[in-house]
Amino acid sequence: MVDYWNRIIWPMIEGAQMTVLLFFIVILLSIPLGFLLTLAVKSRFKPLSWLAQLYITVMRGTPLLLQLLLICFGLPMIPVVGEYLVFDRFVAACIGFVLNYAAYFAEIFRGGLLSIDKGQYEAAKVLGLTKWQTTTRVILPQMFRVALPAVANESITLVKDTALLYAVAVPELLHFAQTAVNREFTIVPYFIAGVIYLAMTLILTVFFKWLERRYKYE
Amino acid sequence: MALIEVSNLKKSFGNQEVLKSITFSVDRKEVIAIIGPSGSGKSTLLRSLIHLEEIDDGSICIDGEYLVKDGQYAKQTEIRKITGKMGMVFQQFNLFPHLTVKENLMLAPKLRKTESLGEIEKRCYDLLRKVGLSDKADAYPNNLSGGQKQRVAIARALMLNPEILLFDEPTSALDPELTGEVLKVMKDLAEEHMTMIVVTHEMGFAREVANRVIFMDGGEIIEENEPEQFFLHPQHERTKAFLHKNWK
Repeated sequence: MVDYWNRIIWPMIEGAQMTVLLFFIVILLSIPLGFLLTLAVKSRFKPLSWLAQLYITVMRGTPLLLQLLLICFGLPMIPVVGEYLVFDRFVAACIGFVLNYAAYFAEIFRGGLLSIDKGQYEAAKVLGLTKWQTTTRVILPQMFRVALPAVANESITLVKDTALLYAVAVPELLHFAQTAVNREFTIVPYFIAGVIYLAMTLILTVFFKWLERRYKYE
Repeated sequence: MALIEVSNLKKSFGNQEVLKSITFSVDRKEVIAIIGPSGSGKSTLLRSLIHLEEIDDGSICIDGEYLVKDGQYAKQTEIRKITGKMGMVFQQFNLFPHLTVKENLMLAPKLRKTESLGEIEKRCYDLLRKVGLSDKADAYPNNLSGGQKQRVAIARALMLNPEILLFDEPTSALDPELTGEVLKVMKDLAEEHMTMIVVTHEMGFAREVANRVIFMDGGEIIEENEPEQFFLHPQHERTKAFLHKNWK
């Protein structure tokens, strides 16, 4: 039993740490970046708005796996500059995930902004709030509240998408599961991996449910 | 000198002329009721006064200062100063749903930073008592009835000590049995000589509380008069037709 633990489960839990690390890095970077993209889309400076929309279209319209392969293996193949674009695999994967998820978060936040009634802006204006005060005190808190369920959804997808690290050979949970399956010739590691993913998404689900209740405003 | 002077105000949305050369004035302490069929431009007129709509031509002068003169708007800082003399209450309340009642009232004065927090809080509770909602200070707007929401909205507007209060159909979104509590608060304000302009469908309120009734139709002021004269002896055919339909 101890042997089983040492050979199979422990490496998988270590692999899960990589999964969790990627998750937090991506969430912490892609949400602010996504929000900046939302602002860029809403910008009155048209070229910036078009650029942001083009970016979102491309990132959402192509597979994440393709983007990861491009960053990990494609960039180094570019003539002349390629040799400066060789990143550590994990760093490269983080960049790919952040760039991709930012596009989704940008759309989520844009949806949140659309849901806010124009009466909110008018009420803020007649109360003498400046544009900045209106945005930070009235609009953004409501936007984040509206976006919360979609952000929760996206976060859970991210936990599962981390399995794509397998394809760019970053040792994470699924990698160790597959190794164990090959070595031990048993399918049990698949189920263990499934349980660990499930545990992670369950924790997230509970956390976001708590956030939604906390900011119910009732 | 009148507190509000509007002259030759014109406003179009695209090709449609919604306000055709409106001229009227309001004296300090007056309560004006603006009535008329929907689409007559009365809300647009009210919203123009506080710069929620930009007019195309004409002048609006508030307390001796031109918000817009012959179609030329004042500088942004001037506009803020002039519109700051007015408060507005909306048909849909427009309370901030993520803030409690108390926070709704205190947000703008806190950001304005002209009084201490203690003073702001004291006035907040005074005003909540005045509108009969002392016990709702920590409630969120979503947990209030429509009538309560609108009373909070009135208190919130009063927090900035406006010289003029504008009401845009304040009871139109309310269940009939809830209009009374809002009208009561407005009546109290009128008795304290607050200058008020009220766009309304409440003929009873207009007749009882207003000093003057303005009837608009098709983007024009058709008739204005003191309430008794207006309701009992309307001069214009369109006024007669409107009253016949809307007031028994």
